[in-house]
Amino acid sequence: MGVPNVLCRKNRILLGELVKTDFRLRYQDSVLGYLWAVLRPLLMFTILYIVFAKLLRFGDGIPHYPVYLLTGTVLWNFFTECTGQGIQSIVQRGELLRKISFPKYIVVVSATATALINFAINLCVIVVFALINGVTPSWSWLMVIPLILELYAFSLGISFLLGALNVKYRDVTSIWDVLIQALFYAVPIIYPLALVLNSGSYGNFAAQIIQLNPIAQVIQDVRYNLITDTTVTTWQLVQFPLCLIPIVLVLIVLTFAALFFRRRSRRFAEEV
Amino acid sequence: MSKNSKKSPNNTSLGQSVKNSWKTRGKPSSESGKVSSKSGKKSPTSAKPSQNRAKPVQKPSELVQNHVEKSKQSSKPAPIAIRVTNLHKSFRLPTERAAGLKQAFFNWLKGVKGYTEQQVLRGVDLEVHKGEFVGIVGRNGSGKSTLLKLLAQIYYPEQGNIEVHGTLVPFIELGVGFNPELTGRENVYLNGALLGFSNKEMDAMYDEIVRFAELEPFMDAKLKNYSSGMQVRLAFSIAIRAKGDILILDEVLAVGDAAFQEKCNDYFASLHGNQTVILVTHSMENVRKFCDRAILLEDGKVKTEGNPDDVAQAYEDLWK
Repeated sequence: MGVPNVLCRKNRILLGELVKTDFRLRYQDSVLGYLWAVLRPLLMFTILYIVFAKLLRFGDGIPHYPVYLLTGTVLWNFFTECTGQGIQSIVQRGELLRKISFPKYIVVVSATATALINFAINLCVIVVFALINGVTPSWSWLMVIPLILELYAFSLGISFLLGALNVKYRDVTSIWDVLIQALFYAVPIIYPLALVLNSGSYGNFAAQIIQLNPIAQVIQDVRYNLITDTTVTTWQLVQFPLCLIPIVLVLIVLTFAALFFRRRSRRFAEEV
Repeated sequence: MSKNSKKSPNNTSLGQSVKNSWKTRGKPSSESGKVSSKSGKKSPTSAKPSQNRAKPVQKPSELVQNHVEKSKQSSKPAPIAIRVTNLHKSFRLPTERAAGLKQAFFNWLKGVKGYTEQQVLRGVDLEVHKGEFVGIVGRNGSGKSTLLKLLAQIYYPEQGNIEVHGTLVPFIELGVGFNPELTGRENVYLNGALLGFSNKEMDAMYDEIVRFAELEPFMDAKLKNYSSGMQVRLAFSIAIRAKGDILILDEVLAVGDAAFQEKCNDYFASLHGNQTVILVTHSMENVRKFCDRAILLEDGKVKTEGNPDDVAQAYEDLWK
């Protein structure tokens, strides 16, 4: 008795098998199969590269701009895929929840794990790209790991929160779709932050607001550590106590989401 | 076991004190049931009441009493496997289509709750001893499946107490998690994982599962290409590998053709006497054949309990 073992043997087996099934089903009946996990972001990147680097010339003055752009899109795709799958997960696995008893968080974690696997593959692509592009490897690359964990924690928090809410109000999916479109432009992925900084008298303030978003903070930090230290990060832009806002935000969202999810999960079997 | 014997002193300690604490609050629909399980599947913290309702604190004295109870049981010849006391459960049925923010908002404006409470179980008491084969019968909507789902910890009780001693394997439905897009082989491993078997353990059992299901040539075909009988056979073959202290079965006897039925019957006959089983069924033939004891549920309450023949008779009398 006592606290349920978060990763006891039975739960581990279940989690592993659900992830395997998800991954298998995703690329079933497609000719290129798992290759799509790599191809999709690369194709997305190609489009963005043509539009923003070649036509609009956003990348002038940024070293290794293609890698810079690719990193941004891959991190963003990870976030959207993770939350998208996570929010849907409880409703999609409703059949299972109604038939057997197991910790409900496994469903959400298994849904986001697929995104995590895709992201790991993409990260390898980034590293290869960076080396080809002439970025010199350094120890600062290791800083990327905690940053990814931060982004994953944030995605997981949103997935738990909105996934639980989605059981009762299916509107959540639609609202999130719109919200994530807006969020895309609020994060410096396709445009460099310097562009905001140099745009009029409110430029600096706008850039600060943008960088308080945990997603923006992670993306800029990853670029800083991986590609070029000319990247403007939250830590340079915002004063000391305030610059911790993104991290505090992640912790608050994750804690609140976990509590909310646990409370709501007791009725999932009836409501889903 | 008759109803009276349930009020024996060894039952009063935990069950009674819990019961009383509900009474004083006088809120039958409040969500504050308690599930205690010796297998450690559910922690006390996860069974704590949700929402803004009062929290029944498990007093240290209750814990002590619980221990006393346990030691008493071990001295008895057939210890308790499951004990259910005064179990209540109701469902919220949405009055209008309330699966949307808009409707929720209007309901809130109008001060409407947006759902009605449907009382499904109204104070069920049940005791199952180790090694007993207990049948639960009743009309549609009498609360049988809800009771099973509560025992299986799929639903949370609102009121009352459920004690489970040992691991519990529920079969609310066969082939849980079966995915039509996966092959038979992949589904076996997936379904096995849901029952708690690792890949290695499934490797060891795989051949026998396939042989029992008589599906050797079809294991690499997708499940959507199986006939429904084939699916059920496969599911049943996996299900009977699961070893738990208590088996919970909901209407799984009525599957397959005559030959497969016979296999199933043999299996159930083999369980008799050395496995704790709770079976929900509409077949009075099975009740008379397999059960040591039976319970008739009516309107969420135990109507008749005892000898399978008597209960089967009472069930048939419902329509007279």
